[in-house]
Amino acid sequence: MAKIYKQILIIIAISAALGLTANAINSDGVKLVLYKNIYALDTAKQKKSITDFVNDPFDTTSNKKHNNVLSGQMNKEGYIEPENITVELAKNIFDRNALFVDARTKEEFDSLHVKGAINLPYEEFRSKTYYQKIETMKKYNKDGLIVVYCKGDKCEVSIDLAYEIARLGFTSVSIYRGGIKEWKEKGFPTEP
Amino acid sequence: MKEFISNKYVVITLRVLLGLIFIYSSVGKLFNPADFAKAILRYDFLPIYFVNLLAIVLPWLEFVVGLLLIAGIYKKASSLLAGASLVMFLIALISAVARGLDISCGCFSLEESSSKGDIIYRIVQDFFMLAAVIIVYKFGDAKKEETPEVSTEISN
Repeated sequence: MAKIYKQILIIIAISAALGLTANAINSDGVKLVLYKNIYALDTAKQKKSITDFVNDPFDTTSNKKHNNVLSGQMNKEGYIEPENITVELAKNIFDRNALFVDARTKEEFDSLHVKGAINLPYEEFRSKTYYQKIETMKKYNKDGLIVVYCKGDKCEVSIDLAYEIARLGFTSVSIYRGGIKEWKEKGFPTEP
Repeated sequence: MKEFISNKYVVITLRVLLGLIFIYSSVGKLFNPADFAKAILRYDFLPIYFVNLLAIVLPWLEFVVGLLLIAGIYKKASSLLAGASLVMFLIALISAVARGLDISCGCFSLEESSSKGDIIYRIVQDFFMLAAVIIVYKFGDAKKEETPEVSTEISN
């Protein structure tokens, strides 16, 4: 019997070694420990909607805030964490003139994007220095509604870009995981 | 019945079949830990700290166990591990159904399109696989002379 336990341990050790190695060399690898479920939807929040507020993405002076439906909690690192939103809530705040940010490449953005969206390709944005990021983002309303998306399906650059923007001090950044794919399927406004 | 399920060829067939299923279910996940982690997260079952680690190691464990089952190496140990993972999957699946979670299984492919009926089907399938694992575990070593070179290897 002891022999079997030894064999089990050997099998588990080999599998763990293979898994960790594969993950380390995999460009789509993941962190070993996950601290927060970045894929979760806060279902209570999704049922709310914003009605009596019109967002101005370019008003950098205003303190006018929406009714806080879309502000998450300040975390230990001192920024407000982005939250995932459904297509319904995305459309709701699209109608309230939220700033949509497309995290895909310029080519993808040029072929089709959410109407009025701006393009901040994630790879490009990430490689900027902190001050260049501030420079890029300072023309936008820090307390304004921001929705970051990418192509949908399995893309994750929207999550990464949303966290980048939130770290700069933007207080209401949302991640729309359905992406341009779901948006288009729903027949919501796109360009060009 | 007992004679039939302890028949050498029946046991070997079951073992190889189980190995193939394990390998088949693992290949899509081997280099896709992010998607598998998401599939695990949908079950809302494990503390999130362990989710990624499980998503990294479990597919490889399935793969290695599948290979060992097919090759007939470490038969007891690999069938025990196969059984343990099947029991774990069963608990996760049944608890998902019991809590009314509307999720896809994440068992074989990582698509999110499958429906709840799919999960019931997986549970039934898991029970059959578990039965096969028990047969392989119990009767896999019945004929010692079957693979003598293996028994010398594991006796050290």
